[in-house]
Amino acid sequence: MRSITLGHYLPGNSLLHRLDPRMKLIILMLLIAALFMVKTFLGFFLFGLFVLTVFIFSGLPWRYFLRGLRPILFIVVLTLSLHFLFTKGGEVYWRWGFITIEEAGVYLGAFMSLRLVLLVITTLLITLTTSPIAFADGIEYLLHPFRRVGVPGHEIAMMMTIALRFIPTLMEESDKIRKAQMARGADFETGNIFRRARNMVPLLVPLFVSAFRRADELAVAMEARCYRGGENRTKMKELQARSLDYYSLATASGLVAAIVMSGV
Amino acid sequence: MSALIEVHNISYYYALDEHQAIPALNDLSLSVDRGEYTVVIGANGSGKSTLARHLNALLVPATGKVWVDGLLTSEPENKWEIRRRVGMVFQNPDNQIVATTVEEDVAFGLENLGVPPSLTRQRVDGALRLVGLEEYTTHAPHLLSGGQKQRLAIAGVIAMEPSCLVMDEPTTMLDPRGRKEVLQTVREMNRQRGITVVHITHFMEEALLADRVLVMEAGRIAAQGAPVDIFGGDLELEPLGLEAPAIPRLARLLRAGGLDIPRDALDVGKLVSALC
Amino acid sequence: MLIETKNLSHVYMPGTPFQVKALHEVNFVVEKGAFVGIIGETGSGKSTLVQHLNGLLKPTSGEVLVDRQNIWQEGMDLRRLRSRIALLFQYPEHQLFEETVYKDVAFGPRNLGLEGTALEERVRYGMELMGLDFETCKDRSPFNLSGGEKRRAALAGILAMQPETIVLDEPTAGMDPSGRKQLLKQIRKLHREEGMTVILVTHDMEEIVRSAEKLYVFSGGRIVLQGLPSEVFSSSRYLRELGLDVPPLADLLQSLREFGLELRTDIFDEQDAAQEIIKTCKKRGR
Repeated sequence: MRSITLGHYLPGNSLLHRLDPRMKLIILMLLIAALFMVKTFLGFFLFGLFVLTVFIFSGLPWRYFLRGLRPILFIVVLTLSLHFLFTKGGEVYWRWGFITIEEAGVYLGAFMSLRLVLLVITTLLITLTTSPIAFADGIEYLLHPFRRVGVPGHEIAMMMTIALRFIPTLMEESDKIRKAQMARGADFETGNIFRRARNMVPLLVPLFVSAFRRADELAVAMEARCYRGGENRTKMKELQARSLDYYSLATASGLVAAIVMSGV
Repeated sequence: MSALIEVHNISYYYALDEHQAIPALNDLSLSVDRGEYTVVIGANGSGKSTLARHLNALLVPATGKVWVDGLLTSEPENKWEIRRRVGMVFQNPDNQIVATTVEEDVAFGLENLGVPPSLTRQRVDGALRLVGLEEYTTHAPHLLSGGQKQRLAIAGVIAMEPSCLVMDEPTTMLDPRGRKEVLQTVREMNRQRGITVVHITHFMEEALLADRVLVMEAGRIAAQGAPVDIFGGDLELEPLGLEAPAIPRLARLLRAGGLDIPRDALDVGKLVSALC
Repeated sequence: MLIETKNLSHVYMPGTPFQVKALHEVNFVVEKGAFVGIIGETGSGKSTLVQHLNGLLKPTSGEVLVDRQNIWQEGMDLRRLRSRIALLFQYPEHQLFEETVYKDVAFGPRNLGLEGTALEERVRYGMELMGLDFETCKDRSPFNLSGGEKRRAALAGILAMQPETIVLDEPTAGMDPSGRKQLLKQIRKLHREEGMTVILVTHDMEEIVRSAEKLYVFSGGRIVLQGLPSEVFSSSRYLRELGLDVPPLADLLQSLREFGLELRTDIFDEQDAAQEIIKTCKKRGR
């Protein structure tokens, strides 16, 4: 249940919350691109400063935010240790038998980890301040031009919306089924990986059965409410880019341009 | 009063395999008047839900005809207009909510109809006010209570300005408070806005609210009439897999014991005044 | 088997913006062989409580004692405990997963290490207690049973562990009147004939007054009323404030009394209530 908070949208009314989701998606892509072009620690520092500013504007509680970062801790540690152990070159900092930690390893490990952490922070800033449905709308809109080449933008957005709508419901359900089977003596915690996988059957079968039943009922309910695909459909909330959105886009573009040109 | 829905001699079968089919509706006829509140009761498998799905063209009869406002449900081009006019609320509150916020879900039907944004906004707000969810506009639906979810489903239908609301066991999965909320909302829709209601239920007490009660058995209408005709003591409900609510049951025992209890003493208030 | 909770509190998702305090200092006792009813609105804490009784949830503070042993102490076998205190969740048919009814009912006892004839014995026991014919049902797929049969198959799966106590969370939810009646009859039989301790969580007041010997009323994570059904339902106004129903018979008898009829109000059986009313009315010369 705890992982439910991971990347979970937190409603609010900050500058960041009010941005057009299409713009946010474009900006996110620009920032990610920028992050991969950064070549120096100074670049990361400046980028970090920028992200910190944005974070302050977002009004997100920092505790909640940090919790969202916890899951990547493992990956960071892994990245660091792999680089420390296997990337060789430069000055040797530490030696124990045949194991050495060398300058290049420390440098690359830190560099990669920073990039990863900043990447997740940037993404979290966007996902925590964008309602899932706005996200889906943004994607639908951005994919619209590709309709002619067969990209089903509306369907993708509808699938996302429904998936997002049912994730909490199915999480709750899987928790309940897990407990119901534990009440019958099921063991989900011990044994080797194969045994554990087999022990998941009493959880997974009912969960699939239930998901299919829900899908079936939902399809009927949608039909009863006159759903017939994206044709001639309107939107209550039409996306409208305002000056704020253009300023933000300009800022993000400026940042990317600055990084590319200065070569930091 | 004029008929809103006309059902003429319909039959429907669910196919088991290529050679076998179980009859779900058996030569059933029915007429629902404008503004009427009809409650449908019957044991599991008596055909209640199948009937409900014929009223808004989710199913079309194998034989026989259904008209809604003069529109024949078996004509494919009428389908969407019929579904707009006959809205449906289902049993499971979770499995009929599509969107991730309350307001977006109410807007869903209107968006499907191609209603312009500003009008959609207006109707969504109106519908949410009607069902008393105006404070929850931007909430996530999974955080609502069961009763609130069902009221949300009702709002989603009401926003489409239907003439009729068909509810397939809307209270089955709710607790007493949720049940009350939903019943009260539906009654208001019926009394104040003149919306025709067809309400299917397992709770016999809910049938006491109806203008007319339909009792179904094996795909047919076994009995129909005002609540007093069904629960007043003359009709044997047990062979139909049903049981009268507690107070009518007691009234019947009292009558058998020699007390003079009027047939319409179906609730606590009336029975008390009959006894005191 | 004696089940107690001592100052039991539980907080869901502590330390997040979604933190909820679901139970607050609950002291709850179930004696061996009792039939206890738990009522309360959705979210009042009753489901959280019952999940503590067999160790599915761990208390945030306070204790759960079974036969005076803290179930969270070192060396407690929780899986063993769960077979002694069997818990059936709401809509239990959603937990069915095997290819045949036999295999599904056998899941619990198999987890207890039973095999061969001993296992079959248990499956037969569970199915027959729930009125499912062993020979005709055992090889059927649980997914092809009727709604009522599915639920009874799920209950059979619990009973096949031969628990001393069964905890049932809304066992009749979503059933039609005759299905409800039949299932309750079977539950009462488990109490009377098999001597099981029964803890029944429900919204349906009619069903609980006909069965339970003691009631606990929950609201906002606390026990707000407890006692004999007659004691609890004498506070009908308070129960309504809590969003609960009052059984119609109790409501009627109390109203009659308020109108000056001298009669007992602690009757929950229809026939008895009718007798009492007839007796009182005849006395008044009507």
